[in-house]
Amino acid sequence: MDGAGDQNKPAVSRRGFLKGVGVAGVGALVAEYPLMAPGEAPATRPDASKGPISGNIDIVLNVNGKDRPVTVEPRTTLLNALRNNMQPAVTGPKLVCDMGTCGGCTVLLDDKAVYGCLTLAIDVVGRKITTVEGIGTPENLSPVQAAFGEHDAMMCGFCTDGFVTSITGLLKRNPNPSEEEVREACKGNFCRCGTYPRIFQAALSAARTQQGG
Amino acid sequence: MAEANLHQSALSWGPNNGHRLLNTRLPRVDFPHKTTGTADYSYDVNVPGMLHGRLLISPYAHARIVSIDVTAARKIPGVRAVTVRNGPGGTLRFEGDPVAAVAADTAEIADDAIHAIDVKYDVLPFVVTADDAVKPGAPAVFTGDRRVEGNIRPASRSGNERDVEDALRSADAVVEAEYRTPILHHACLETHAVVVDYRGGDSATVYCATQGTFSIVGDAARALGPKVQESNVVGIVHYMGGGFGSKGGIGIEGGMACALSKQVSRPVKMALPRRDEFLMGGNGPGSWHKMRAGATRDGQLVAIHTIQYGMGGIGGGRLASQPYVYHADHVYLEQSSIHTNEDASRPLRAPGHPQACFAMESLMDELAYKIGMDPVEFRIRNLGDDGDHIRQLQRGAQEIGWVRRSQTPGATPGPVKRGFGCACGQWGGGGGPQCVVTVAIAPNGAVSVSCGTQDLGTGTRTYMVAIVAEELGLEMHDVKEHIGDSRLGRANFSGGSSTTGSLSPAVKAAAVNAKAELARYVAPLLKAQPGDLIFADRKVSANGTSLTWQQACAALSPAGLSVRGEWVPGLNSGGTHGACFAEVEVDTETGHVQVLRMLDVQDCGLPLNRLAVESQINGGMVQGIGVALLEGRVMDANLGVMVNSSFMDYKIPGCLEMPREMLPLIDDGDGRQQVVGVGEPPSIPPAAAIANAIYNACGVRCRELPITPDKILMALNPKA
Repeated sequence: MDGAGDQNKPAVSRRGFLKGVGVAGVGALVAEYPLMAPGEAPATRPDASKGPISGNIDIVLNVNGKDRPVTVEPRTTLLNALRNNMQPAVTGPKLVCDMGTCGGCTVLLDDKAVYGCLTLAIDVVGRKITTVEGIGTPENLSPVQAAFGEHDAMMCGFCTDGFVTSITGLLKRNPNPSEEEVREACKGNFCRCGTYPRIFQAALSAARTQQGG
Repeated sequence: MAEANLHQSALSWGPNNGHRLLNTRLPRVDFPHKTTGTADYSYDVNVPGMLHGRLLISPYAHARIVSIDVTAARKIPGVRAVTVRNGPGGTLRFEGDPVAAVAADTAEIADDAIHAIDVKYDVLPFVVTADDAVKPGAPAVFTGDRRVEGNIRPASRSGNERDVEDALRSADAVVEAEYRTPILHHACLETHAVVVDYRGGDSATVYCATQGTFSIVGDAARALGPKVQESNVVGIVHYMGGGFGSKGGIGIEGGMACALSKQVSRPVKMALPRRDEFLMGGNGPGSWHKMRAGATRDGQLVAIHTIQYGMGGIGGGRLASQPYVYHADHVYLEQSSIHTNEDASRPLRAPGHPQACFAMESLMDELAYKIGMDPVEFRIRNLGDDGDHIRQLQRGAQEIGWVRRSQTPGATPGPVKRGFGCACGQWGGGGGPQCVVTVAIAPNGAVSVSCGTQDLGTGTRTYMVAIVAEELGLEMHDVKEHIGDSRLGRANFSGGSSTTGSLSPAVKAAAVNAKAELARYVAPLLKAQPGDLIFADRKVSANGTSLTWQQACAALSPAGLSVRGEWVPGLNSGGTHGACFAEVEVDTETGHVQVLRMLDVQDCGLPLNRLAVESQINGGMVQGIGVALLEGRVMDANLGVMVNSSFMDYKIPGCLEMPREMLPLIDDGDGRQQVVGVGEPPSIPPAAAIANAIYNACGVRCRELPITPDKILMALNPKA
């Protein structure tokens, strides 16, 4: 493990915290980190039972249907793995608050919306990760993406990837939501430009399109 | 070209209802990128070999640096560069004042390195609230500045105080009150982010989240110089994740990124974490208004006396003047700033206006209730010949169903009370000769419009395309736009709602010039004079013969054509008016406020894109909900630090705060056939309208924003 320089500093960073737990504790901490959605532990996940996981680890993440090799640390979030560590980077999910309040980093984990900034990369090896790039492309927009354009459900657009992902996740589990259900599904996403009313309209319109209406 | 330029002297948009694309509902041209993660924001830029930067910021409100040791930070594997901004003896004036910066292979390592820098601080006396700042003997934020006394910096004084006092004595009703608003944050979702792509040598490309593409180059050249000259710096702002006034130039953080990049001749990304963004990435000033105003029984405002303070930390904090949009015979106004040990305020969407509007519109409401007059009627009586606001108030009252309002506050039955409120806003805007636009047409018919300007989310790209497509008789998808690059034509900084007023006339001029130039080539083919050609339906026609657009463009030389357009007078204007109405529900048992319905009527001359203007108005209302009910910087007066420097604690409006119905209303009663920027104005009156609706609902007059449940409950149960 590198980073000898900060051993005597107060344990404030995530890295420092892991050190503060002690070498034996690190593996346990990582192994017990709760998954965002319960699922089978995949075979390729780093085996924490053999001892502490530290330093750089090579893992493979399944992103938008492709197996993507990436080098991460145990503390690397899924969001940072996608945005910073993966080459080429996957920058649709945005880092905005880094503490699970704004939804800018929303990704689908086995079709369920989760915060990329609160998910550790090593915890989602073998899971199906879908980012906004995997939902549609400029040439082949999904109904949700097309509805956002039609209803002007975005201004600066920095929150849009998160909202599109959250609503896509909603429509997978509830193809015909009420406006109340749309608001509920998006309550973990912030838009500072204030496009909410049109996001709700876009979600309902996309649901109708998907239903063939 | 001389011939083409003749056309410019007589440019006009024509009647507002005579457009094919403008003044219709146009989806924004960049939406396929914004919805698929393929819009390249500065925060998203990754270039080969790029390092990740991080700032070390002051943990104290006021301190002197005794010593700073970066040895341990440098030893961490993966740390490539360290720069110190404030060495021993340096003074830090607010929590968040940048001290040093590092660049490392990963963001995680950069974070470690920041914590490994050993700084010894000599903590100095500080003051972080306005109340403490004006107490006798308060610690001085600025020493040795003779213009500042007791942390107050006087700015202006106007009117005859004695006349005002005399008039107040003769008034039938007088209201004396203090109104306050807290320091607010822009809270752009994209924090300040800059990528300095410098690899040694004499040139650099700098990607930056900023409101001025051309503000990048000078800033970066100064920081990277002297080898790197301004002419060798390319500034890029392809997409911007919100600005609201907080982003200009490359900032201190960008300067430090340049210093790090220069040290190691490698690209550096410096993107502020959310906490740094709150502490040193911008705030809008708080305000404190001490007001007395009198009215006659028949609803005439006779006199108003205002002492008004802006709270902009170590910066100023200008506020709009009182009595804001209204008229009184006798007006006295004193304006000053109160300094505290907080980051200097920056312009925040309609700087100084929401604050002044909240104070004045609350005061107007109090006076109306005191003389027993309908608040809308009282406002109309004091707007003089301002027919715009009067028209908007009348329309708003009708649309919201003002007649349903209970005249007696708190009179609706049950514990959950309903109420209505309104307020007016105004803004200047304008525009001038600051942009150079190029329209190019290729022999194969491809059309592009380009300018170095930036799109903050306002829809700049879309109206550039629409103006050109309409002029040339083409469809939206026939025209490609290029913006956000300092190698393109110069453009102004986006501030004061002046981008559209400056840019759209230049786009129009470029399109007209391109059309005239193309006509010179095509006219002989149609055996017509250039001025007789008709450009419509993707065809060029004359004398009953027409060519398809492609056939017409084939007449060009292989080089195609590329013509410029600059701003010409007459196509834009300044001065906007707006009125907002809100219907709220107040739960008198919990203090919770829910806005049920809201509308904002806003004029803007010729709306270039109705869909985008409506989105701006919606956005103004949504931000107003935050200002009224949720937002405000909270300082710990004893520790000198901000208590709520995260999105967990600084609450911005979300889905659950949204009203059931929001009506963004464009006021087409404004007959100006000119473009007026509308980014800022709709955000001005909503907070005041909500505050007034809360009073109408439950009889609680909250004179300090935000109106949180505790304030309502305390007012309803003062003895509890």
